[in-house]
Amino acid sequence: MPRGQKSKLRAREKRRQARCETQALKEAQATAAAAGESPSALSGGRPAAAAPRRPQGAASFTGADAALSGTDSDEGARSQDEGSPRSSKGSEVSHRDPLNKKVVLLVQFLLQKYQKREPISKADMLKFAIKKYRNQFNEILKRASEHMELAFGLDLKEVDPIRHCYTLVNKLDLTDGSMHEDENMPKTGLLMIVLGVIFMKGNCAPEEEVWEVLNMMGVYAERKHFIYGEPKKVITQDLVQLQYLQYRQVADTDPPRFEFLWGQRAYAETSKMRVLEFLAKIHDTVPSAFPSWYEEALRDEEERARARAAARARTAAMASARARALASSFAHPK
Amino acid sequence: MEEGRAERRRRTEAPSHTQGGPRRAGVMTDVHRRFLQLLMTHGVLEEGDVRRLQNHCYRVHDRSAAVEELEDFINNINSVLESLYIEIKKGATEDDGRPVYALVNLATTSVSKMASDFAENELDLFRKALELIIDSETGFASSTNILNLVDQLKGKKMRKKEAEQVLQKFVQNKWLIEKEGEFTLHSRAILEMEQYIRETYPDAVKICNICHSLLIQGQSCETCGIRMHLPCVAKYFQSNSEPRCPHCNDYWPHEIPEVFDPEKEREAGTSRATKRSLRSRQH
Repeated sequence: MPRGQKSKLRAREKRRQARCETQALKEAQATAAAAGESPSALSGGRPAAAAPRRPQGAASFTGADAALSGTDSDEGARSQDEGSPRSSKGSEVSHRDPLNKKVVLLVQFLLQKYQKREPISKADMLKFAIKKYRNQFNEILKRASEHMELAFGLDLKEVDPIRHCYTLVNKLDLTDGSMHEDENMPKTGLLMIVLGVIFMKGNCAPEEEVWEVLNMMGVYAERKHFIYGEPKKVITQDLVQLQYLQYRQVADTDPPRFEFLWGQRAYAETSKMRVLEFLAKIHDTVPSAFPSWYEEALRDEEERARARAAARARTAAMASARARALASSFAHPK
Repeated sequence: MEEGRAERRRRTEAPSHTQGGPRRAGVMTDVHRRFLQLLMTHGVLEEGDVRRLQNHCYRVHDRSAAVEELEDFINNINSVLESLYIEIKKGATEDDGRPVYALVNLATTSVSKMASDFAENELDLFRKALELIIDSETGFASSTNILNLVDQLKGKKMRKKEAEQVLQKFVQNKWLIEKEGEFTLHSRAILEMEQYIRETYPDAVKICNICHSLLIQGQSCETCGIRMHLPCVAKYFQSNSEPRCPHCNDYWPHEIPEVFDPEKEREAGTSRATKRSLRSRQH
């Protein structure tokens, strides 16, 4: 296979592609500047393409995927050169409406996240799909949501309006069990948040303050939540029954007010440090960013380590005592 | 004839609106959406299961409606998905011509659907296996040959034992098929990656002389070298007692397989596994 000519062609193609991309970027910037003006008006110089084109060569999407993009630009260039008119069609689409490309990418990204049942953060969307068009995130998101709803019956909902976390909810209300729903997963998120509030309020939190935090995330006592179901029931009954939370009346209050504490099982299955890590993650920071709580969590970790060591020592002592007893009974047979 | 349309549909060169009649603006109802959601979770489905799925979606969302003809149903959905560069693509298994369907991205030139499920070195292993399969004469790459390339993988170092497990993961996820220690592409991979493969390996890629789609497994003429898919051979030479090469007219030396008949299969109750082992590779 004669490579010499191919690498010449590849290099030429690469230069041409680079030129196309700068052109697309300039046009995109022009589009952004002329706030809201239809992109087609600006691309007047380009030959107008007919209704939705299928970019057979899909050259304009080359490099969109991080994973195997190592050789993509090369191979994409090589293929464009193989005499097909596809590449020009592809770049026409992108010149006409560069946002559209990002909408398509975002839809594909969201579909993948949906299938893996992973939460979606704005940061991830920007990183994997939107990239340099971050200023038009809202517009791109809006269009992508419309597509998701229209074509797939999936609703993109903001779960946390402060931290910008989203999830896709199935509008089709599946009741036939053909899609497996993990019941425990969402409750864990809610639990961790409540444990976090309790921790941050000095290990005992008045109910009002718990709801204050949950309300900020769009979770309300009297409103059915699409992930958590009946939040009030979940935190005052279900999780209490499971011993993850304690819910008790504050002494001498009339009308009665209630407070939350960590349940026995929460202490056993998680720790202050882990809860702090969870909170730090959703705030895009590190546990040490909350100095006083961090110290308390550290002390808790030390306590636990000591308790574990003590338990091990006890077990070891018991074991050796038994061994000695055995040895002595052999030495002095009765 | 449905067969002819199916073959044309496999051609990625042809624009979509020449397939299956005039393109009309699709109307998506919850029936279609549910169908899409479920098809998406399966990755790839055989036609029989697709029909059952379609019926299921009607039962759940719109009992009173008449079940639309599958082809129209799918075209309807595809016309809505067109602007997203996604499509329900129909293909056929290369060994016995069973029609299969998958939801594929048209806007990517890489194996992106795999990218989120596998690590960098695993994806590179797949790429290496893919190259061996494409370069091979039979469309199969031996386990040994693939495993010998583990040292060349990008990313974290992988041992051969690990690589064996990764290959099994590919089989489980329907990217590869294993037969007697050798690997070839699953119909899912062919549907999803045909475009990528044709663009990435334009010199090594084999094309079927009849349907002009990507060919991994098939029969070839010993005189002039043209190749045909087994199901394409079956259809082309159906009830022809003296099969001759369509290109050079020389006697076609291979056993002519049977055309896939879903009715016959249901009646006979033959298991798929038995059928596959009866059919030997033709090279």
